[in-house]
Amino acid sequence: MSDLDPVIHAPARLRVVAALAALPPDEEITFPKLQKLLDMTAGNLSTHVRRLEDAGYVRVTKTHAGRRPATYLTLTTAGRRAFEDYTTTLNDLLRGAGA
Amino acid sequence: MNARVDRTPTGDDPRLDVAESQRLIAASQERARRGLEPDGRLLFGTWAVAWGVGYTILWVSARDTGASPGGVAFAVFFALLATAVAITIVHIVRRTAGTRGPSARAGALWGWGWPVGFSVYGLILGGIADAGASDAVIGLVANALACVIVGLMYLGGAACFGEARLYGLGVWIILVAGAATFAGMPTTYLVMAAAGGGGFLVMAVVEVALAARRRRTGTPAPASTAVGRDAA
Repeated sequence: MSDLDPVIHAPARLRVVAALAALPPDEEITFPKLQKLLDMTAGNLSTHVRRLEDAGYVRVTKTHAGRRPATYLTLTTAGRRAFEDYTTTLNDLLRGAGA
Repeated sequence: MNARVDRTPTGDDPRLDVAESQRLIAASQERARRGLEPDGRLLFGTWAVAWGVGYTILWVSARDTGASPGGVAFAVFFALLATAVAITIVHIVRRTAGTRGPSARAGALWGWGWPVGFSVYGLILGGIADAGASDAVIGLVANALACVIVGLMYLGGAACFGEARLYGLGVWIILVAGAATFAGMPTTYLVMAAAGGGGFLVMAVVEVALAARRRRTGTPAPASTAVGRDAA
């Protein structure tokens, strides 16, 4: 049995990664929009996003929309693959546990 | 030596943990979907009312006058269409705001097709009126052209976003264009109300049923991320 990726296997980060994985590949979402979707506080979200960014799973792009700063988030290829591996492992665990 | 190092990331009961993880994934993806994708129930429902009620009013009025619908009937019709356009734009802009990338760009390019198509629609109707077309001809062309624009836009949108149901609706609306023209005055308005508005209504009902099924069974995750299929 392989272990679940500890970077993803924490409730808040799992929610962030799952929501980002629901976007088409290469699609980016603003920080406030993701925060609203997941109903998380800005501080909480940025803590977990930093952890995911450090792991190379999430890419953070800071830019400007007119004069206002905007932060865009997206899953990296490694992040998408890690989430797929995570869900595969979940399925394996389920099959093992249900047998 | 150290008995406390045997903790696994999944805890004592991996099964419970797995179920909770699955629930979190499904809930997050459902939230993302709800927050990012336009709600077909609202949009198709809105257009079912606009076409169903609007064209019925035109049909009743045209039957009463024996020729073209009266001014009041057209005023109500255009008010219904304007309301539907406003609801559609506000809803889609709110849902799709805050994302960027190839898919958002494709959606924006497609979306701008609507004002382009319907601006030219106005010019074409003005042009044939100037050329001496009768009210009946203008009425028939107006209905058919509206259906052709809407239908072709749906085909394009369906191809762009991989929406098979939208493709079916597009084909249907294009067929309505032909039927509404051959029906002649004033039955053309009845065809628009019943077949056109009815098409939107069927789509709205299908979307309601699909949403209810999603709520019952949990969100079907994208194929590559599906974790619920073996769990039932």
